[in-house]
Amino acid sequence: MSAPEAASLGRCCVDIVDVAAYRGRAQQLSDAARAHGVTLPTFGRIAAGHSRLTLCVRPERWLLLTPPAAAGAAAADWQRHCAGAGAAVDLSSGLAVLYLEGPAMREMLARGCRLDLDPAMFPRGHAAATIVAQVSIILAALGPGLMLLTPATTAMHLNEWLESAARGFGPLAHTNLSMADLIGRAQQ
Amino acid sequence: MQPPKRIARGLLTDAERPVGFRFNGRRLMGVAGDTLASALLANGIRLVGRSFKYHRPRGIVTAGPEEPSALVDLLGAAGREPNIRATTLPLHEGLIAESPNCWPSVRFDLGALNDRIARFLPAGFYYKTFMAPGWAWERIYEPLIRRAAGLGRLEAIVGRKAGPAETVHEHTDVLVVGAGAAGLAAAHRLSQCGLRVLLVEQDSVSGGGTLLDPRWTDWRAARDAALAGAPAVSRLRRTAVIGAYGHGVFGALQTLSAEESALFGGLRERLRIIRAKRVLLATGAIERLIAFPGNDIPGVMLAGAALDFVRRYGVAVGSRPVFFVNNDPAYEALFALTEAGVRCAAVIDVRASSHAADRARALGIEVRSGALVTAVRGRGSVRAVSIAGRDGAGRAEIEADCLLMSGGHSPATMLATQLGAAARWQESIAAFSADLAPSIGCIAGAANGIFGIAAAARDGEQAADAIALQMGCEAGRADPAVAAPELPPDPATTPLEALWEVRGRGKAFADLQNDVTTDDVRLACREGYAHAEHMKRFTTLSMAADQGRIGGLVGSAVLAQARGLPIAEVGLTKPRPFVEPIAFAALAGGEVREHFKPKRRLPLDAWHTAAGASFVATGLWLRPLVYAREPGWDPVLKEARAVRRAVGITDVSTLGKIDMQGPDAARFLDFVYANTFSTLAVGRARYGIMLREDGMLLDDGTTSRLGPEHFVVTTTTANSAAVLEHLEFQRQSAGARFDVLLADVGDQWAQFALAGPRAREVLAAVVSDLDLSNRAFPFMAAGAATIAGVAGRLYRISFSGELAYEVGVPATLAQQVWTALLDAGRPFGIVPYGLDALNTLRIEKGHVTGAELNGNTSAEDLGMGSMLKASGDFVGRALAQRPGMRAPERLQLVGVRPTQASRRLRNGAQLVAPAAVSSSLGYVTSSTPAVESAGWVGLALLAGGRQSIGRRLIAASPIHDESTEVEIVSPRHLDPENTRVRA
Repeated sequence: MSAPEAASLGRCCVDIVDVAAYRGRAQQLSDAARAHGVTLPTFGRIAAGHSRLTLCVRPERWLLLTPPAAAGAAAADWQRHCAGAGAAVDLSSGLAVLYLEGPAMREMLARGCRLDLDPAMFPRGHAAATIVAQVSIILAALGPGLMLLTPATTAMHLNEWLESAARGFGPLAHTNLSMADLIGRAQQ
Repeated sequence: MQPPKRIARGLLTDAERPVGFRFNGRRLMGVAGDTLASALLANGIRLVGRSFKYHRPRGIVTAGPEEPSALVDLLGAAGREPNIRATTLPLHEGLIAESPNCWPSVRFDLGALNDRIARFLPAGFYYKTFMAPGWAWERIYEPLIRRAAGLGRLEAIVGRKAGPAETVHEHTDVLVVGAGAAGLAAAHRLSQCGLRVLLVEQDSVSGGGTLLDPRWTDWRAARDAALAGAPAVSRLRRTAVIGAYGHGVFGALQTLSAEESALFGGLRERLRIIRAKRVLLATGAIERLIAFPGNDIPGVMLAGAALDFVRRYGVAVGSRPVFFVNNDPAYEALFALTEAGVRCAAVIDVRASSHAADRARALGIEVRSGALVTAVRGRGSVRAVSIAGRDGAGRAEIEADCLLMSGGHSPATMLATQLGAAARWQESIAAFSADLAPSIGCIAGAANGIFGIAAAARDGEQAADAIALQMGCEAGRADPAVAAPELPPDPATTPLEALWEVRGRGKAFADLQNDVTTDDVRLACREGYAHAEHMKRFTTLSMAADQGRIGGLVGSAVLAQARGLPIAEVGLTKPRPFVEPIAFAALAGGEVREHFKPKRRLPLDAWHTAAGASFVATGLWLRPLVYAREPGWDPVLKEARAVRRAVGITDVSTLGKIDMQGPDAARFLDFVYANTFSTLAVGRARYGIMLREDGMLLDDGTTSRLGPEHFVVTTTTANSAAVLEHLEFQRQSAGARFDVLLADVGDQWAQFALAGPRAREVLAAVVSDLDLSNRAFPFMAAGAATIAGVAGRLYRISFSGELAYEVGVPATLAQQVWTALLDAGRPFGIVPYGLDALNTLRIEKGHVTGAELNGNTSAEDLGMGSMLKASGDFVGRALAQRPGMRAPERLQLVGVRPTQASRRLRNGAQLVAPAAVSSSLGYVTSSTPAVESAGWVGLALLAGGRQSIGRRLIAASPIHDESTEVEIVSPRHLDPENTRVRA
C-alpha cells in the first residue's frame, strides 16, 4: 500500500492572453469584453466562464485563460475585441499553469508563500500575485485547489520546490489537466 | 555513598526506561524524559563547565532556557555543536556531551589561573593594557585573548554539513506566546470568540507553572483538551519566539521531536515566521539571582530550578539544601523537596517575617528571618554557607550541599520591549513590567507582574477579552464543559523585599555567562560609563546569549546604587532579537546550496543537454557555454569559426523582451532611451541606449516597431528585470504623460540568432512568406514571419558582426523551429554555438556587454556620446551633461591586442605605462583569442583611451604573474565599416 498523497500537481495546457486597458479606458474595455461574452472580474478575483477563466491581479489588467488553439490566435482576437481601449498580448508560452490540490497543499505553500491562504482569508474566487520560492507567482483559489501561474522558465524550479515542500506530508502526484478539467474544478 | 538523587516520580520522566549517555567520557544513565541537566544532577554531577573569562567551575543554575552556565558541546553524527544548554537538551540514547572552555579537563583547568590574577583583569582591562605597539593588537593580543576567552568553539562546526532546515509562514488573528496558566486561559477564551489562535510554547509540554502544582492538573487537562478540539486553534510546542519585528511579524524557532524529525528527512529545527493581527504575551516571569560572594559555585542554583527538577524529573538537586530568599513563591521548592523527603538545612529569609516562613516553620524547618548569606564555602561544589543577620550579628556557618537562591521574579518582557513597550517599575514586585499598545496586543499573567497561578489564569482571560473587544468580537462565554474545575486558590503571600547584593570578599556575579561581577558594574560607573547601555558595553553584562535574563536587573540595581538613583531611572538594557540563540543554518532555511537561488531554464534546455553542452550559470539562467565537455578554447573557436565562415545558430532566449503598446509608446521610448525612436519606421529595428537618472548607462538593446503603436524592446540578459522595473517605474511616475502598456514577454518568446555569411540561405529554406533579399529585408529590418510553419517574428540584427537574423517564436514551439533551422543549415555546415563563442564574436566586433556596461560607464565613455539626442528630455539627460561625465581623462572604451601573437590577455589585467608600472591607467574588460587571426584581442577601459590609439602599454596581471605588452587599437577589431552585416 502506498502512502497517502500530500497533494497532486496538475499541469494545465491552456492559452493565456494578457489584456490591459489604456489610461482611463477600463470601463470601455470591460464593456467591449462583455460584448464578447466575458465579464472581467474585479481586482484580486478569478471568475470561471463556460470555457474560460479570467483573473485580475494587476490594476486594470486581466489574464484570460482559454482552451489551446493556434499560436497567437486568441491574443489576435482579443486585440481586435479591445477596439482601441487596450492591448492584448499572448502569454500562452510565457506562463506555466499548475493546479495544486490535496490535503497538504496549504502546508506546502506555507514553506515559501507569505500570503495567508486560509480559506477564510483567501476563499474560492480570490487571486493574488506574490513571490513563492523566490519566483513570481500568481495564485488563485479555484474550486478545491489552488491554481498557480509561474513564468515558464522557472516552472521546473517551482516544480522541484513543490516536490521538496511535500516532504514530510507524502508523495506529490503529477497529472495533466485540460481547460475543461479546470472549469470542472471551479464548479466543484 | 551519595544518597539517591532520583527521589520522586517525575511528571515528564519514565523511570522504567533507562537511557545511556556519555558526559566528558563517562558513561552514565538517565531515564526517558530527562534533559541532560536533570540526568547529570541525578548522577550527582555538579561541575558542568568552566566560565567565560575566569575559567571558574560552573554548574547548573536553572532548569530552563534561561540557563547561563550549563552550556555543553554536543557531539553527534553531524559533528560538534557548541553552546547547547543542558537544561533544554532532551536526553537520548547514545548522547555524547562535553564541557567546553577547559584544558586539560573540566576538573583541572589551567585557564583557571585567570581567576587567581583576576584583580589585574578588570572589565575593559585589555583595551587599556594591550595598547602598544599598535600592530600587536591584531597579530598577538587579540588572537591570544580570543583563544583564552569564550565558550564553545565556532571552528568546530566549520565544514560540518549543516542539516536540512526550512522556513514556514504562519498567519493568525492572535498569537499567544506561552502556554502557562495565563496563555492557556487566554487561548481558550479567544478561540471561543471565533478568532484564529496560534498558541506557542517553548517547553515540550504546555502548562508552565501549573505543571509544578498538582492541584492544577485537572484544570490544565481540561484546557488542553478544549484547545485540541478547537478548529481555529493551532498549538506549537518546543517553539520559542525569538524576536518581535513590528507590524505583527514574529520569528519562532521550533525544535522538532525525534518522530517528526524522522518524518521530515532529519530536519531538526524549523523557523516559523508568524504574522499576527494581535499578540498576547503570556511569557511568564524569570527568577533572579542574588549577587553574593561565591554565587556561581556549582550547587548554587535558583530555587525555582530545584522545584522544576523535583516535579518534572523527580530529581533532588541536593540532599542538604539551604535556601536564600526574599519572597514567598520561592518556598514552593522547599515544600516540594520536603514533601519528597529531602531534609532542608535552613531557610535564610531577608524579611523579618512572612506567610511562607510560618508555613515552613510549621513543617519543622528552620527559617532564619532577617538574615543574609554572606559567603559560600567550597570550590567545585557547595560545602557550607556563611550567614549573618542583616545587622551583622549572629554570624554562623551552615553545612549544606547546595544553596537555592531567589531574588524575586522579573516579568519576561523581552518581546514586549522589542515591540516598543515602555518599561514600568513596579515596586511591589521589585521589577519592571511593560505596557503594550492595545493595537499591538496585551501582556498577561506573570509577564504582566500578576503572580499566582489562579491570578494569572484570570488575567489571561481578561487580556483575551480585551483583545477580542479590540478586534470587534464579542467577549468569550464561559464554556460549561471546561469551566467545571474551580480554580485552585493561590496561597496567601507576603510581599517580597528587594535584595540585590550582599557585599563581601570574593566575586559576586551579576552575569554568569559573561563572568561580570558587581564590582565590574561599579568600575564602569567610576570610569564614566554610567548609563545602563554604556555599562553594558563596558562590562559585557547582559551581552551573552542569555541577555542577562537572571541577573540583568541585579546589574541595573547595582548601577543605580552606585549612581545614587532609583532603579526606575537607570532602567534595563535593551534586549535584542534573537531572544533565544539561533543557528545561522536555521535562519537560512531551505534556500542553501543548490536551492540558494532559482534556476531559469531555457525552453530548449533538454535539447542543449542532449547536444552535450556545458552549462554556465549567468544570473538565474543556465546557459550553454560551449557544445563540448573538454576544456580549452578549441571547441569555442570551432563554433565561432563556423559563424565567420558559414553559419551558426545560438539560443538567445535569455534576452529580456518587453512588449510595449499604446498611443504614446513612441514618445515614451524617446523619453526612456537616450536616442530617438519616434522616427523609427514600422518594420524597422534600432539600437538604443538607456541611461539611469544619474546619467550613467543602464542598458542597451534593439527595439523594433511592429506597428504604429506597437514596439518590442529587447534588453540584455543580465539587466532584464532591472530594465522592466525601471520602465514600469518611469511609466507610473511620469503620471498621465504617457498612455502606454508594458508586458514582460521574455518567457513567451524563444529567440535564436542565426549568424554567418550563409544565414540568409538557411533562413530562406524555412521562411515562406517573406522576401529576404537585401532590398526587401535589409539590415535592421523587423517584422512578422512564418518560420518553419510557426507564426513568429524576424529581426535582421547582428551581435556577431556577421550577416545575421534573430528568429522569435512562441517558446512552446521553439523545439520544432530550432530543429528545422538546424536541418535547413546542415548543407551549409551549420553548428550551434554557445555563450563563449558568442562572446568571442562580439569582442572582435567591439560590442559591449555587462563587463563594459558595468554601471560606472557613460555613453561618452563607450564611444556612444553622439547617440544622445540634442533636443527633448530623456531619463538621465541632465546628469549626463555634467562636465565630469565628458572629461577626456575618463576611462574610455578601446581595443587591446598583444604586440606578440604568442601572448594572451587576461580580463581584469591593469593597463600601465612601461615607465610608471605602479599607476593603473585602466583595465582589460573582455578578452578572447581571435577567431580567424593568430593571437588575442580584447576590450579595455583606458583613461583618455580614444587619444591613445596606437600607444603601447603593459597589461599587468599580478595574480597570474603576467606582464604583456599591448597595443591600444580601435575596439572594432573586425569589419569596422560594418559591411558584413549588410551583405
